[in-house]
Amino acid sequence: MAADTALALPAAAPPARPRVLLVGTALASGATIMAFAGLIGLYVAQRAAVLAQGGTWLPEGTTLPLTPGTMGMATMLISGVTMWWAVDAVGRNDRPSAYLALGLTIMFGLAVINATTFLYTQMELTVDTTPGLFIYTVTGAHLAMIIAGLVFAAVMTFRTLGGEYHGRDREGLVAAALFWYATIAVYSVIWYAIYVTK
Amino acid sequence: MAVTETPPETVAAAAAGHDSAPRLSATGLAAVLGSGDHKVIGRLYIVASLVFGLLVLGLGEAFAVEAIAPATLDVFNSDTAYQLFTLLRVGTVFLLALPLVIGVALVVVPLQIGARSVAFPRAAAASFWGWLMGAILLLTSYAINGGPGGGSENGVNLWIAAMGLLVASVLLAAVCLATTVLSLRTTGMSLERTPLFAWSVAVAAIMWLVTLPVLFGLIVLMYIDHRHGGSISIGGAGSLYGALAWVFRNPQIYVVAIPVLGFVADVLVTTSGSRMKLRSVAQGAIAAFGALSFGAFLAVPSETALESPLTVVLGLLAVVPLLAVAAAAADLFRKGSFKLNGAVVYAVAAFLTLLIGVAAGALGSIPGVLEVPDGSSVNANIFFLGVTHAVVLATLIGALGAIHWWATKIGRAPANDKLGLLAPVVLLVGTVLTITPDFIAGIAGKGVETAADYTGGIEGLNVVGAIGVAVVAIGLFVALVGLLPLLRSPDEDVAADPWGGQTLEWLTASPPPLGNFEGELASVTSAEPLIDLREEK
Repeated sequence: MAADTALALPAAAPPARPRVLLVGTALASGATIMAFAGLIGLYVAQRAAVLAQGGTWLPEGTTLPLTPGTMGMATMLISGVTMWWAVDAVGRNDRPSAYLALGLTIMFGLAVINATTFLYTQMELTVDTTPGLFIYTVTGAHLAMIIAGLVFAAVMTFRTLGGEYHGRDREGLVAAALFWYATIAVYSVIWYAIYVTK
Repeated sequence: MAVTETPPETVAAAAAGHDSAPRLSATGLAAVLGSGDHKVIGRLYIVASLVFGLLVLGLGEAFAVEAIAPATLDVFNSDTAYQLFTLLRVGTVFLLALPLVIGVALVVVPLQIGARSVAFPRAAAASFWGWLMGAILLLTSYAINGGPGGGSENGVNLWIAAMGLLVASVLLAAVCLATTVLSLRTTGMSLERTPLFAWSVAVAAIMWLVTLPVLFGLIVLMYIDHRHGGSISIGGAGSLYGALAWVFRNPQIYVVAIPVLGFVADVLVTTSGSRMKLRSVAQGAIAAFGALSFGAFLAVPSETALESPLTVVLGLLAVVPLLAVAAAAADLFRKGSFKLNGAVVYAVAAFLTLLIGVAAGALGSIPGVLEVPDGSSVNANIFFLGVTHAVVLATLIGALGAIHWWATKIGRAPANDKLGLLAPVVLLVGTVLTITPDFIAGIAGKGVETAADYTGGIEGLNVVGAIGVAVVAIGLFVALVGLLPLLRSPDEDVAADPWGGQTLEWLTASPPPLGNFEGELASVTSAEPLIDLREEK
């Protein structure tokens, strides 16, 4: 039988280390981006329909200040740099720099959460209106994505502290970075579609 | 993250090699509930989805009977008809077709690509338990007057949350399956050499990951909206199902059936006993069919979306990959020597059913070709339900055929091949009888909403549909009886390779051990490693 002949040939060399976590993260990041694409697509379509009928999108008295959103955007971009720094530092086995960079990334992520929640207190928009529903859903879902990215980065930081990742194997950190970059990309679209064009 | 780690038992089995491959001591319920073994998880998916499938089929038969004479055969009152109609639609996809395909894929794909385990086994287990919980909560929501048209606020909220859990669980399984094919192939197995079923599962999983997150986002939006009074139409009680309906129609419904093409190709090429020359054509066609099943753009409500050039082009082109797969399979006839068996009949029946559905979808997509008397499009009436029914039933036939084909890997013993020859024929006849009234009624302009109880169609013709669903039920019963041997311990050793297989799943023992392969695998040098082994002997 075939099972017997399996051992007739010389055993293969061990396969190259599969980058399972990185591939899985890439797929999960892509799926998350598609979820936001759907939500933002619905937001834009709904807003366009209201404007086409001559109405106004945001209810009277509602303000959507640009400053917190733009501060969040700038902070996210900087966090992208620090995340890249962390990956690079681990690649060079420069642990102190890696810890510092990952710590800064987490701090910047928390700052964006702070900026977004501050914006919520400023815009005087309730969730039981159509714009409020969309804005809170999209930005709230992105806050959840940021929290997931921070947890992912934090776990990878602890693993790096524990010596699991180093110059020759930094897959976990690269995976966390990939998800973080996806978070930044989504925020940039939200920033333009919601905060800038309102 | 802990969920991304390989669980201890499969890692140990993979790392220890054949000399000291450990056997788990856990037995009974603990071995099932706590298992990270992809085969156990896959079997759980298969059994649970078939149980829910029987419920869905029973519901479908009740609707078909009601449709014969809605005024006199009052099976459902007007309050419950809409609720059960939505349960039928949601159930066929999320309780039957998708989980059944996922179950088969979870068992077979790692074996086919020479992997010791599925990627992220704990996540795969979480996907099953999450899906099961979602399915139970979904049924519970209907029971407490929830559902998309329910009168209970909490019941409706529960329905939306259950839908979210179902979709999230499917997405989790999709990540596991796609990552397995992309990352865990054995040495020498390039993507071009990936077995066609594994390839089709990878394509399907990626398409699920591209489209179903849009549904998930929509569900989140609906949940928040409904919790806060329903300010927009998406959250209005009458339109909850309408917002999700794009998932249950073409082209999106095709994503459910992508693995059917892989199963068909795998079975035909193996039973031909020869190598598939047009293998790259088959692979490309499966990938193209996946790409053409992208229907998430219909999630944005639009009155003209069904007549948009994108919809027309996707609908028209979708039939081409099926013909390409058929051509690649037909090429095998020239050199191969086919042996008729149950799996071949299943494969042919599944392919024909899918071809009918997709071809009808293509015809319905072209504006003006199938003219409805009132000038409207068949693409927006009961006609497209025929397409949906055909695709879902093709998936059911294909999945049952896959269980029959890989019976010794999924279960403990081979399936009954005589019943395997009969069941797909009965299922095919039942399917044709079921979908034909939908097509005729659609062309005649009898929309699904014309009847107050959502039965629609032409009353006299609906008798044929009711008979068709009954025949499908008989076919399913025959198929399940034919699969019963999988559950019992065999009298003698089960052959590792009962079909003269070409791919790695036939290399391992039946049923496969923990860790899948007892010995080290040789490097794969072609798409048909077992033919290579035989030739070298």
